[in-house]
Amino acid sequence: MSLTETVQQARRRDLRIPLAAVLVVIALAAPYIGSRYVTHSLIIALIFMLPAHGLNLLVGYTGLLSLAQAAFFGIGAYTAGLLAVTYGTPFYVNLIAAGVVSGAIALPLGIPALRLRSTSFVMCTLGFVIIGQAISKNWVSLTRGDMGLSGIPKPYFELGPLSFSVSGTTNFYYLALAIGALATFAAWAIVRSPAGRNMVAIRENETLAESLGVPTWHYKLIVFMLSAVFAGIGGCLYAYYLTVVSPLTFQMYYSTTMLIIVLGGGAGMISGTVFGSLLFVGLTEALRITPELRMIAYGFCLLVLVFWFKKGFAPLINRFWNVIGGVK
Amino acid sequence: MLSTVLEQVVNGIVTGSVYAIVAVGMTMIFGVLRAINFAHGEYYMLGTFGAWFAVDYLGLSYEASIVVGILATIVVAYVVGQLVMRRMVGAPAESGVLATLGIALILQNAVIFVFGGGYKFFSGGYIEPISILGFSLAQQRILILVVCLVVFVGLELMVTYSRLGMAMRAVSQNVECCEVVGIDVPQVVLRTFILGAALAALSGVLTAPVNVSVYGGMGELITFKTLPIIIMGGLGNVRGTFFAAMILGIAESLVATYVGLQFRDTVGFATLILVLMWRPYGLFSTQARF
Repeated sequence: MSLTETVQQARRRDLRIPLAAVLVVIALAAPYIGSRYVTHSLIIALIFMLPAHGLNLLVGYTGLLSLAQAAFFGIGAYTAGLLAVTYGTPFYVNLIAAGVVSGAIALPLGIPALRLRSTSFVMCTLGFVIIGQAISKNWVSLTRGDMGLSGIPKPYFELGPLSFSVSGTTNFYYLALAIGALATFAAWAIVRSPAGRNMVAIRENETLAESLGVPTWHYKLIVFMLSAVFAGIGGCLYAYYLTVVSPLTFQMYYSTTMLIIVLGGGAGMISGTVFGSLLFVGLTEALRITPELRMIAYGFCLLVLVFWFKKGFAPLINRFWNVIGGVK
Repeated sequence: MLSTVLEQVVNGIVTGSVYAIVAVGMTMIFGVLRAINFAHGEYYMLGTFGAWFAVDYLGLSYEASIVVGILATIVVAYVVGQLVMRRMVGAPAESGVLATLGIALILQNAVIFVFGGGYKFFSGGYIEPISILGFSLAQQRILILVVCLVVFVGLELMVTYSRLGMAMRAVSQNVECCEVVGIDVPQVVLRTFILGAALAALSGVLTAPVNVSVYGGMGELITFKTLPIIIMGGLGNVRGTFFAAMILGIAESLVATYVGLQFRDTVGFATLILVLMWRPYGLFSTQARF
């Protein structure tokens, strides 16, 4: 035994794949494990996960703090609601339309807004939420104002001879789970692509990224639109789940919730957003905390995240993942 | 016709005065901290609630309730300032936004939690109308105008001549230099913040008899109205804030009369976005400061 050779470390087993399998099984079996209320909480968490993924691309990867997410969430909800109630179009059409319309509206809003920096950008995006709410309240002929749109039908699928409608909490949970999984995969694919690395470059140093030939302006605009697409799809699901859309969908509070999911879970990390939505939305919903107490708790969460817990749960998740994988 | 317009303009000036007193605190806090205080309207709400509590529960007179409202807000602002605002010195702009959003959530919902979310009736104040030059105007509105003028003249003098005022100007110009020459920056920030919060509370207490209803969500609305004002006025610019507040007050009042009441609350943010596009450094500042 030479001196350079060290004693072989006792390698622990890589438990990542079994753990992932267990998590998938739990996700699939959740409606049968927990009560109906737990399933409901999970649906809400999954719905909020969608705009949070979009926000994560914007805040976590590109470094733009935006409050506009609730505006696009609302636009998606209204698009889906109006199409479903007025034209009776099927669910998947509305889902795509909600994403497309939100993304399309984000373009003219993003062009002026993204010219602004830091605080001014934040305020401009806040303005979109306020103005969105005002429009949904006052354009009565289209949105029915404060009464809102009610009677959104159940999601209905038709595949050739097969057709079924998603009714009941359990079925809706699977729908939300499928869309949530797709969105998570989409976000992951974006982040892992070369485009994702360019986004990180913009976050770290915009001037440097620009000097290296990254078209920063186009990137920022496209990410802003993508975040709106995610939010719009989330809004569509929300509208279908509640079967009602009202001007209250445009709420600052929703933007704050999404921010807490992203920052708490760990900005710039896909698994962090998934974890954040389960923790901050799913858990608070499941514990049946009164809205006021929940908002107070959110307020404290924001303060803690800003001053004491800057990276959110990201380092913990990473460490856990490494330990499970047998890496020291 | 003309007299209606004039009446609306006068009403707008009164509304503008209310906004001006709130906004000037926000703009001074921005000056020393380089951070927008998204919770500023909540101090307006706290002041109003303090006064309402004094009148309704303690049975005090309106004059005493002004003092109670402002003192209660100062106590809260002192705690928030010590725990949060001091930490924001030198922190990136984003953390300021998030921290103050958090404070807004806490203050607003703590009040709703304690007092309930319903509308409360504020009884008190001087609501007798008196007529001047053919206009009839509630005494309270005249009081608001007078207080606004006194506040702005006082602030102008304070910022120019007093020790704290000079320190505030120094901090808003260069934080490092202030630290080098021995100015206690967190202390200046704390005092400016408490002064700003107290002014917001004063504005809230003065408006309560005119608005009559008191509720937990009122602060958020005021925050959303003062944000455009301080941007229009040029961040950190006290005089600009005064004129911007008057412009917004008058514009809102005219829009409410001639376009529709429901569009009143949108005027501010529509203006804000236009101003941000066109003159990001405000209407009254000649160059970009931040």
